[in-house]
Amino acid sequence: MWKRLLQLVLFVAILGALAWYFEGPREAGSGIGGRLVASQRTEPDSYNRLVSPIYPVELISRLTSAPLIRVNHVSGALEPALATEWAASSDGLTFTLKLRQGVTFSDGTPFTSADVLFSFRALYDRKVASAIASGMMINDKPLVARALDDHTVAITFPAPYGPGLSILDSLPILPRHTLEAALDSGDFGNVWGLNTPPADIVGLGPFVVAEYQPGQRMRFVRNLHYWGKDSAGRALPYLDELVLEFIPDQNAEMLRLQAGSLDLVTDEIRAEDYAALERASAEHKVQLVDAGVSVDPTGLWFNLKPGAPSVKGRAWLQRDELRHAISLAVDRQKIVDTVFLGAAEPAYGPVTRGYGPWFVPSLPHASFDPARAKALLESIGLKDRDGDGQLEDASGKPARIAVITRKGSTLLEHTMASVQEQLGRIGLGVDIVALERGELIRRIVGGDYEAAYYGAPVLSLDPANNSDLWLSSGNFHFWNPGQTSPATPWEKQIDDLMHAQSESMDMARRVALFADVQRVFAEHEPMVFFAAPKVTVAMSARVTGAEPAVVQPQVLWKPETLAVTGAAIR
Amino acid sequence: MNLALVRFALRRIVSAAAFALIVAASAFTLTRLAPGDATTELVASGARPEVIARERARLGLDRPFSQQALAWARGMLRGDLGESSMFGRPVRALVLERAAATARLAGLALLVATLIGLPLGVISGATPRHWVARLTAPLSLALVSILPVVGALALLLLAASTGWLSIEPGAIAVPALALALPLAASLERLQAQAVRDVVSAPDLVAAAARGIPPHRLIWVHASRQSLRPVLGVYGVVIGSLFGGSFAVEVITAWPGLGRLMYDALRGRDVFLVSGCALAGAVCLTAGNVIADLLRAIVDPRARETS
Amino acid sequence: MMRGHDTGPAMTPAQRVGRAILVAVALGALLAPWIAPHRAGDQLTDRAYAPPTRVRVHDAAGFHAPFFYPQTLTDRLRRQFGVDTATRVPLVIGRGALLQSSAGDQPLLLLGADSLGRDVFSRVALGARWSLGVTLLGALGALLIGAMFGAFAAVAGGRADAWLMRFADFVLVLPAVYLVLVLRALLPAVLSTADVFLLMALLFALAAWPHVARGVRAIVAVELRRDYAEAARAAGAGRWRVVAHVLPATRGFLAAEMILLVPALLSAEAAVSYLGLGFPEPTPSWGTMLQEAANVRVLTEAPWMLAPAAALFIVVFALQLAGARASTRAVFFDSLASHASDPS
Repeated sequence: MWKRLLQLVLFVAILGALAWYFEGPREAGSGIGGRLVASQRTEPDSYNRLVSPIYPVELISRLTSAPLIRVNHVSGALEPALATEWAASSDGLTFTLKLRQGVTFSDGTPFTSADVLFSFRALYDRKVASAIASGMMINDKPLVARALDDHTVAITFPAPYGPGLSILDSLPILPRHTLEAALDSGDFGNVWGLNTPPADIVGLGPFVVAEYQPGQRMRFVRNLHYWGKDSAGRALPYLDELVLEFIPDQNAEMLRLQAGSLDLVTDEIRAEDYAALERASAEHKVQLVDAGVSVDPTGLWFNLKPGAPSVKGRAWLQRDELRHAISLAVDRQKIVDTVFLGAAEPAYGPVTRGYGPWFVPSLPHASFDPARAKALLESIGLKDRDGDGQLEDASGKPARIAVITRKGSTLLEHTMASVQEQLGRIGLGVDIVALERGELIRRIVGGDYEAAYYGAPVLSLDPANNSDLWLSSGNFHFWNPGQTSPATPWEKQIDDLMHAQSESMDMARRVALFADVQRVFAEHEPMVFFAAPKVTVAMSARVTGAEPAVVQPQVLWKPETLAVTGAAIR
Repeated sequence: MNLALVRFALRRIVSAAAFALIVAASAFTLTRLAPGDATTELVASGARPEVIARERARLGLDRPFSQQALAWARGMLRGDLGESSMFGRPVRALVLERAAATARLAGLALLVATLIGLPLGVISGATPRHWVARLTAPLSLALVSILPVVGALALLLLAASTGWLSIEPGAIAVPALALALPLAASLERLQAQAVRDVVSAPDLVAAAARGIPPHRLIWVHASRQSLRPVLGVYGVVIGSLFGGSFAVEVITAWPGLGRLMYDALRGRDVFLVSGCALAGAVCLTAGNVIADLLRAIVDPRARETS
Repeated sequence: MMRGHDTGPAMTPAQRVGRAILVAVALGALLAPWIAPHRAGDQLTDRAYAPPTRVRVHDAAGFHAPFFYPQTLTDRLRRQFGVDTATRVPLVIGRGALLQSSAGDQPLLLLGADSLGRDVFSRVALGARWSLGVTLLGALGALLIGAMFGAFAAVAGGRADAWLMRFADFVLVLPAVYLVLVLRALLPAVLSTADVFLLMALLFALAAWPHVARGVRAIVAVELRRDYAEAARAAGAGRWRVVAHVLPATRGFLAAEMILLVPALLSAEAAVSYLGLGFPEPTPSWGTMLQEAANVRVLTEAPWMLAPAAALFIVVFALQLAGARASTRAVFFDSLASHASDPS
């Protein structure tokens, strides 16, 4: 009898111990954690952030690795990550960073300053030709990182740089011990391809890759070696598991969010989804968070490359007056009301209210005035010469502009349809050419277009980090990218202002200089903007601990504090 | 099985295989001829020229077209369809995976259509005054008039507004019904016609005179005889269904061959496009071969033509 | 196979109804500019996703001439509209359209408005011209090419016949999708509505002719062996002259084939707009309109945008009714094959 009881007790004890052993570090019973399912519209093409420029890879890198310093997407402030504190030298060029002690990679190897130096070496290696290197150069010169000891590094900027250390946010710190051989042999470009066993993807981030099913999902589990702790001293991340489902179609994403089989979606909701999601939120299935005004409104621009073949014989396509006239002839409020169902505000330039301190409310802008638009068009020779209600140019040919835009994006296509109708009223014909993304980009890069309505996501609010748009040499200087020297005096003026702005360490001066940039921009309107949508982030009601921001990734920029309450999705 | 039939079958199969290969080759050529390739996406994300060049080299896009085509043809003979640039996986695995999804959908649709269509067809063909037949006739006429696009949209609306069927991506009911209902109606009308023909045939009239009970007459004798022409249709149906329906799969987000082809075309994924074309052509030609064979079995004269 | 000569018994009531509907649709399409209350591209202010305005003849005060209650936007983001039952907006006949609202600021939206506040009824009516026009032209082209090709093959006979038909089979299997894509990429970015119309018709004709060719070849081959053809030949008619005698025999088949081609091409028009060769904005066509309606959100929130689907159904249904007699087994084979090879 007693023997039997003892056996039973022993059995239970062993079982308990086993359970504790397997559950151990997971803090079973803490009430937080769980499994979060997020969707992503495009699949990654690598695990190697330095090699791949595409966004999903950036997202995965944010989950599985950590930077030295992170920029808070909501406040814009610098937050300690792998570096706990930093100090600037008197000339403001060199920063000394203290690295976190006792941190190990997900495979248990200790993290030291050698890993930081290694990451910088890989970043700037010519053979690697890193996709993020150009964004980490100041005036085409690299930053220099030196190790002062195992846990102190000094980073020297080649020139004064306004945004300062926020630049470090985009560099994931990579494991020297697993990748150095590849870098030395020149094979770094091929490491961490998607067929790498997940266990080999070693990082300092809150999660590690557990499984990848191409075309379906990528599963992450918590990194048991993660260094982060919450304010109560509890180990982060809260989530046990995070799943990225690859769902190419935005409608499908929305359906699954409403049905409760998704917690997070790729980006903000479209205005047309609002009504349905609001009903779901009334049923406590979904939560809607107003994150502010979008920072990447879409713009209409013309191909301003001098002598571009597509504008041959129609010089008026490149005149400032044409763009001003369009800006005057389009009733932005109508676009806000129709296309965005009111969930937007009129936009007159690329810097929206979402940019906080950088936004200049007093900037002069066009107000709806079709009569003035007509007069402007007449001043460049476009007028109705045969009384058919359509404008013709000096040679009598109808004035029509072909605008290429992204196919399948209802916001872009609808905005253009509205612009088309409104410009039609002053006799300016618009042909909308909706193209697949690849074809669209091919035409833009090749300069094979008249006008385009498109945009690129903005990943940082600091203008110095978006110099690719502002500088005439930039790749995202859409209307005439990659100029060797500024083609127009006003582009030169913007270049100069931007350089001064970037090199200044005085925030007030930087804001003032950037306001001047915006003023010059508004004067010539190389891009015409119509509306800046309000960003509403939708999440399942289960998600807690999210701090949604307007900049991508809106929620997953801070994955470690997310948690899921209640029953998780299977 | 006589020798002529076997010879006929062999000839059809060989020419069908040749067809499928030619179709795949033309798809490959056409996709390569169109401007742009799989790396335009990289350009879009601001990749450096070195990165793009590396990717193009990896995908073999930097070689002249003749070499690419030769390499592709060589792989094809080994059963290797190349690697998809969009998914970074072997095309063959991808196509087979999606073909399985399409097959599941097509199989279900075919089953549903058969189960609904054939019995109703027998009833309305044999007893046109029966209330079932009276109900079926207008209904099937309406269903036959539903285009795939219209059917998929209408079912989606029905499912979304009533909640009777799941509209989540991956739910099979909506796409299967969108395919099955018009097909069921077609089969019903065809079967009814066939039964009508058979019922009025002299041998059945004679059988009825011999006192065989009418229901037995209809369900056993007449339906068996009338099934032969209907069988011939199945080959074509199988071919078209298993090739993947573009409209239904795209609208209902079913991850089948039709959808894959659509995505591959959009992503300029050369190998995937030709792989999909091959799969589609194989299904279509296989369906045609089956149809021809069934027709040849039913009607020996058919062996002479084509 | 159908015989062309027999005119058969008188039309059944179903056929009469079918023909009547087809005539009505054709008239509607032809007269669309006088029927549509709005122009296809007109974007009405504050009417995005507006539901249909119901035409009434009766209210609490009794019967009236047809009128509707004014619509007001109550919540833009939630797309809620209210009706003001205190005022009646009478309908008027004439004034630019068959039926029109008497108040300029209160548009008549018989089938609601789309995402840009455009009148769906007007767009369906005006779109009928493009959608039905391109389909008919494409089908006629396919009949013409197919009949000539089929007859040529039948008359040529032997090895040439075999190779010609093999070529037809090849075109049948070649997915037209690729053709569309490559064509689109090689053509200029901007195509006018007329360009697209002609191109699409050409494409349809080029994709669909083999169905016709197969049937015509079979019929002609049989007919050539019949007495009257032999007689014509005996009378000294050349090989090709005989064809002229024989071709009328394919009339019935061609009519039946038309009834199959039109639905297949109508859905092809929808599919083609997915692939970027659709009609450009703001030209309305049923295919491009359906493409916008083809997602669950639009379907559930604005089901009236499915109106072109209903229009498609009506046309195909009427065709089925009108051609009820033509549905034979042989035709059925072809219908399935045409469904299979068109990008739909």
